[in-house]
Amino acid sequence: MTLLSDTGYIFVRYLKKLIRNPILLFFSLFQPIIFLVLFTQLLSKFSSLIVLPGGSYLEFATAGILLQNAFGSALQSGNSIVADIDSGYLQKMLVTPVKRPAILLGRLTSDAFRVVVQSAIILGLAYALGAFVTTGVVGILLIFFTIAFFGLAWSGISLALGMRTRSSETVFAIGGFLTFPLLFLSTALFPISFMPSWVQDISMFNPISYAVNAIRVLMTTGYDWGTILPAWGVIGLVAVITLGATLYQFRKVVS
Amino acid sequence: MSDIISVKNLVEVYSDGTKAVDDITFNVKEGEFFGFLGPNGAGKSTTIKILTTLLRKTSGTVTVAGHDISSGAPAIRKIIGVQSQETTVDGDLTGRENITLQGHFQQIEGSKIKKRVNELLQLVGLESAADKRARNFSSGMKKRLDLATALIHEPKILFLDEPTTGLDPQSRVAIWSYLEKLNKEEGTTIFLTTQYLEEADKLCKRLAIIDFGKIVASGSPDELKREIGADSIKIGLENCERDRENAKSIIKTMTGVKEIINSEECINVYAQNASSLIADIVRALDSLDIRLTSVTFSQPSLDDVFTKHTGRKIRAEQLVKAPSAMFGRRR
Repeated sequence: MTLLSDTGYIFVRYLKKLIRNPILLFFSLFQPIIFLVLFTQLLSKFSSLIVLPGGSYLEFATAGILLQNAFGSALQSGNSIVADIDSGYLQKMLVTPVKRPAILLGRLTSDAFRVVVQSAIILGLAYALGAFVTTGVVGILLIFFTIAFFGLAWSGISLALGMRTRSSETVFAIGGFLTFPLLFLSTALFPISFMPSWVQDISMFNPISYAVNAIRVLMTTGYDWGTILPAWGVIGLVAVITLGATLYQFRKVVS
Repeated sequence: MSDIISVKNLVEVYSDGTKAVDDITFNVKEGEFFGFLGPNGAGKSTTIKILTTLLRKTSGTVTVAGHDISSGAPAIRKIIGVQSQETTVDGDLTGRENITLQGHFQQIEGSKIKKRVNELLQLVGLESAADKRARNFSSGMKKRLDLATALIHEPKILFLDEPTTGLDPQSRVAIWSYLEKLNKEEGTTIFLTTQYLEEADKLCKRLAIIDFGKIVASGSPDELKREIGADSIKIGLENCERDRENAKSIIKTMTGVKEIINSEECINVYAQNASSLIADIVRALDSLDIRLTSVTFSQPSLDDVFTKHTGRKIRAEQLVKAPSAMFGRRR
């Protein structure tokens, strides 16, 4: 049970750090909000060219913007562990009897919590702009679950990188390097029918597409389990790989 | 007193082949204030990391409070407090929150933590800043807070890796007094590394000096200084040119005098029992009507000890002298 309480204490520590640095929270939300407000306006005529699920481009793109935000936040996660290694705080924890897995779990749960809060803000704003979730409250909860799960899976990459390189610049650079190709070569912002066939092929293998599609059906069509379950499967697969790498690196740091 | 830390034939070889610690053996007694000195890169921090369960040893036997370091790490973590070289407080948390969180890590009951946190805040003089974020603390305050976090669970052994490096003299003296109090009143065993020999001299009852991964000297500060051999008496004469040889020849006959050399003041006398010689020297010179301008007596400092064993000063900018007694002009 100490694992649970230790995870709780570390979760609360990261939460306090987040709340006390509101500027960080604001700036990480800034980009998705710009996309939500401006980008969707820019492409609002899109829906007259092509039939979009949900009707308007705004409704179509909200799922992609939610994922973009989750992706961005997840890729920052590694910086926190680099900061704790650099400052010596990790060592400070390690000389206490604190349960080792709690150090990672506390971080990951706070990441998940953060991304859910940010997603709620984005969904609220999307609602104000005229996009709403067809599946209602349960659908919203499923969306949050999917995003949190997605966030955890991708946090693993930056955590593993952070522990491996011990350089937040590297984590930042690799995060930036991954974001746009992965997003633009997915169904996040454009429908698959609109893409040239080679991009369609890549998009089929892009794990981001699966997560986006699941959120999109929950927003616009309904409980299409044929889309949702494979998405969870793909996220789970990514999670096994990235969190496995994280665990491996963490063991090396800890011992 | 029994040994609370016992290290036998400890070796640490890094993956690149560097022998950071090369077969060291030492022990620390329960309740002792123990100093571990050495130049940068000598193996101090590596040893502390092994003793505090952060680093796995390559070979040797280490027990801390009766627990073997390899199998008993979880038990050891409950009874040690560690302040590392870098100040590690979370700047986003308040002083109180920093200590409390450490209490949670040490699995102390919530009701007890509150009381203990208040005690500690008082001990390190941070009550008034307790609810401000540590980010805004001065470096001295951060160090004191860091020390308080290491004390939350009333550790039996406190490991301090250069606890006063970078502090202003005032904060340093304050930290010294907490540490002495802790050692005397609570009986906490303290294992200290420092670059300030003056600090080791003042606080530690016993020292070990490590260099190139080996322990090159150990003992109480006084024992180590005595090993150097001789105190020195610097004598200034009013008419140095004329009286020097006369003075030297009479001092030479005194018992305990090891060596006399010419110096800037005029002459330096090295002797085993220099403090008791001073009166004799003054009297003898007076009777020969040789006028003195100054007599300075100094004991060997830990600096001399350190230089003797490691061949270098602990730090280039560190010059600790121990001017013990100064005799004014005598006519």
